[in-house]
Amino acid sequence: MTTIRPFTCEDMLKFNNVNLDPLTETYGLSFYTQYLAHWPEYFQVVESPNGEIMGYIMGKAEGHGDNWHGHVTALTVSPDYRRLGLAATLMSILEDVSEKKKAYFVDLFVRVSNKVAINMYKNLGYIVYRTVLEYYSGDPDEDAYDMRKACSRDVNKKSVIPLAHPVRTEEVD
Amino acid sequence: MAVRPQHMHDGSIVERRLRPIYDWLDNGNNKKALQEAEKVLKKSPSLQSARALKALALFRLGKATEAQVVLDALAEEKPSDDSTLQAMTISYRESQQLHKVCSLYEAAVKAEPNSEELHSHLFMSYVRIGDYLSQQRAAMALYKFAPKNPYYFWAVMSIVLQAKSTEDKTKKGILLTLAQRMVDNFITENKMEAEQEARLYIMILELQEKWEDILKFIESPLYSLLVPGSTAQACIPYLKKLGLWRKLNLLCKDLLWDNQDRWDYYLPYFDSVFHLMKEADNESTADDTPEKCHEFICQLVESMSSGRTLRGPYLARLELWKRLSEDGDPTDLLGSGMALCVQYLRVFANKPCAVPDIRPYLAMIPQKEREEKCRDFLTCLGYDENSDPETTDDIQRHISCMTAWRLAAPPFPADGALGLARTLRRHYLRCSEKGLVTATITEFCPTDGYGLLAAHHYFYAAVQQKSSKPIIEALNLLELVLQQSPANFHAKLLLIKLYHLLGNALAADSIYQRVEVKHIQLVSLGWVHAARLAPACAASRALQLLADTRAFHTHHAKDSVEHLTYAYKYGTFEKLVELRAWTARLEACAWGSLAARERALLALMAGPPGPLHAPSRLPEDPTDNRDLTVMLNWEPPQCQDADLKTRTFDQDIAYLRLKDALVSAIALCIEMSDNRPVEEKSSQREELEVCIEAYSTAMERCKDYYSEKERLCISAPFPSRIIAFVNSPVPYRELYSTTLRMVGELCAGRSARAHELCGRAAALVARAGALLAAEAAAGDGDHGWEMRDRLEALSNYLEFIGIMTFLLGVCNELVAPTNATNTKKSKKKTHQSPDEIRTVELLNKLNECVQNTISFIENLLDQWPKYDFSLSLEEEFSMMSIGENIQLVKSKLEDGLDNVLCVVRYILKNRSKYLKTLVQ
Repeated sequence: MTTIRPFTCEDMLKFNNVNLDPLTETYGLSFYTQYLAHWPEYFQVVESPNGEIMGYIMGKAEGHGDNWHGHVTALTVSPDYRRLGLAATLMSILEDVSEKKKAYFVDLFVRVSNKVAINMYKNLGYIVYRTVLEYYSGDPDEDAYDMRKACSRDVNKKSVIPLAHPVRTEEVD
Repeated sequence: MAVRPQHMHDGSIVERRLRPIYDWLDNGNNKKALQEAEKVLKKSPSLQSARALKALALFRLGKATEAQVVLDALAEEKPSDDSTLQAMTISYRESQQLHKVCSLYEAAVKAEPNSEELHSHLFMSYVRIGDYLSQQRAAMALYKFAPKNPYYFWAVMSIVLQAKSTEDKTKKGILLTLAQRMVDNFITENKMEAEQEARLYIMILELQEKWEDILKFIESPLYSLLVPGSTAQACIPYLKKLGLWRKLNLLCKDLLWDNQDRWDYYLPYFDSVFHLMKEADNESTADDTPEKCHEFICQLVESMSSGRTLRGPYLARLELWKRLSEDGDPTDLLGSGMALCVQYLRVFANKPCAVPDIRPYLAMIPQKEREEKCRDFLTCLGYDENSDPETTDDIQRHISCMTAWRLAAPPFPADGALGLARTLRRHYLRCSEKGLVTATITEFCPTDGYGLLAAHHYFYAAVQQKSSKPIIEALNLLELVLQQSPANFHAKLLLIKLYHLLGNALAADSIYQRVEVKHIQLVSLGWVHAARLAPACAASRALQLLADTRAFHTHHAKDSVEHLTYAYKYGTFEKLVELRAWTARLEACAWGSLAARERALLALMAGPPGPLHAPSRLPEDPTDNRDLTVMLNWEPPQCQDADLKTRTFDQDIAYLRLKDALVSAIALCIEMSDNRPVEEKSSQREELEVCIEAYSTAMERCKDYYSEKERLCISAPFPSRIIAFVNSPVPYRELYSTTLRMVGELCAGRSARAHELCGRAAALVARAGALLAAEAAAGDGDHGWEMRDRLEALSNYLEFIGIMTFLLGVCNELVAPTNATNTKKSKKKTHQSPDEIRTVELLNKLNECVQNTISFIENLLDQWPKYDFSLSLEEEFSMMSIGENIQLVKSKLEDGLDNVLCVVRYILKNRSKYLKTLVQ
């Protein structure tokens, strides 16, 4: 059982049980406030009945012409609330918003090592559109998959024809 | 933030010349930027944009005065070109002169009244200073010649903000009517075109409590056009406001059929059922009886597809039980609450959230019933304490059952808790041997739960026995859990907590560094570690983390105002109000304020010599931004501390105020110690007197208020520092007030009184060391267990030594102002009056007392107690499988303590050395 509601500033004080997960980045404050000010409908929380944040999604709409698309910036679910289908719920919210904004597709980046997430996205209908080399900095740097799912506006599913070759980080807009 | 204006690519000569300056500024090389600007200005000395960039470079190089001269001259010329204005705006922003940005654009708009861009910059300049009326005017002016929706709604929003910020009810009413009429007109003319505009309209109606109008608007075609697919959900709050329970009931039922897991639909559904029950209308199609409601929930349960069992409908049954049991007995309809909880657990025990889910309902079951039937939780899936499940799913079930059992059961006495802790440890080690620890570097695993629950029970035993031994056992186990499950932050937080419990800040820090706390977490989690470093005498690490916390706050204060301009730019009006409140909340952060003061005081003791880091003013109404829910707690409902957050916050605030008074008094002493004639210092002397008096009274009051010891709780902050501070046998109140007064009187030239106070301070200091020794040796039990209290007592005393030493330095400057300039052969002694000679004598005496007390502490440190790691044979045997972790924890604890004491010795030696240089 889940309450779905927009993310608010004050949630930043109580998202620790989600963000202390090592793969969830805690960004500088202005990163969150910028998303809140620009794309509030894309920033949603799932909350448990006891008021605990179970997970959240943050995203945006960007691109020109037939590159106009929804983008998943962060999707995370607390380790204590995994395997309940929450990520799928959050993704479907973001897809709905993107549909309403008449986007052509939704995309996201994921570490190539994050098998659990990649499988989940595949089950939700995402395909690996391309590999982005050394997208995640670290020691060593790690590649990302750029995964996509077409929206209804992209009738011919042109946006989800995978690229044959990997691209470099600086080629990604 | 990039300096270059966005659309500055016109290829002109000016642009080409300015490009390198922008590049250097954006790369942070301000020196180069300045040189480049000078170069351009040599060719065209009057070029405004180059001068503006020069000013910015100067500011960023710390040459504020020079920069201001350039800026003032430019402002006189009333520039109106974009690049000049933007560069000046950044300079003003970075130097906190936001009002000047307004005047700048006011002048620019006069010069070029038809520039849309300048008008919009003028609007944003008012946003930054929160001048809503000017915002409104600027937005309307803008709309008049550029009739675009956003500008119109900027004006509307500015009116709403005026309404929100006025206390005058009539004025508020008029402003809101005006705002509403403006939007109404737009709707009539079919001009509304964005979702956020619709939301702003609802906000205006909400402020006027026009619920019916809101409902009408939400149900209108316009709303579903602007915000498609959300009408039903949007109606809920207003149907509630209007008491349209029947409609709400039917609506929620509809929504629930399609979304059986949406708790935000269940709650209003229940609200409606319980209101309709009072109206009792047998013909109704709505659910207006508990029976109908139960029937509906059962239908939802049955309707679930076999694929995934959702928690919603099951939990709804518990919610119905809870609401019915508030003024009646729901047993006939639903059976006992205990049975429902057990049933829930049976279905969901393989999920870690099962126990947190039933927790609120457990609290509703009478304690007696709960305790009698507690083992039902343990046995409902066929387990008991000693079951050995073989799959990870079953391990999670077993852990859920054990946890639920302990939540319901009466707390164990020490030996019971210890027994269970060891059973749980055995479970963990068994799983570990059998390869059932399936954690990866990013995922926890169910088995971790045994280790965590074991650690909690070790803690319960330790608290009752006042013994460090169970804690050391827990630490050994948790270090192993963390090695095998490096992502498990619950284990990390527990380790931090338990290392601090034994007073070992550096061992805790070894784990803290792996949690990677940053940004906003420095605020919400400051209480977990950063706040505990100073009282555990880890001064240098404390200084680092306190500085990080301060940096976060200062950075945000500078940044936050820009987010408001974004919100206007993107028309997210709802978020505007929220962002403003958020900024205010963080600015008034209690922990941020304390961190600034702690840092100032700590630096006097442990920092390099330097001036006082005087903090900004104490916020009037400090805010509590701690996240106290981050740590797990599995104590039964009767042990939950309902007012923990408010009570501990109140204590923290009292402590903050004491520290604030102390820092303010020291700052005043410094101000007074300059070489103005004494007559000019009388107002500061009075101010200091008020400050000391306030401090003294507050100390007295706090001593009465906070005399009771706090219970130790695994998930809560450690008892506030105010408790040890005001209850210390060392007379800090007298010590601080006497010394500070003495310095003040000396500065004010009132030497007779200063002499008297100096003598008194010396006598107080002479006795203080022994009192501290008594405090630090108060317990004669387990050294490890008492370590935390001992170190905290020591830390308070060290802080006093730091402040005392610093103040003696201030006095020294005062009585020998020529020291710095004269050579050693100064003849000042011959010129000193008898009064001055007496002052020097007395200060020397006080100095000597402080040095003596330092030697005394140094001796105390030589005999400082150590941790005890001795084990009985039986214990040793049971610890075997933990293996090398025993050594790891032992060395972390020993090295941590050694390091802390070593640094304390070093600090004391330094203070002593410095004090010797002050003797004349």
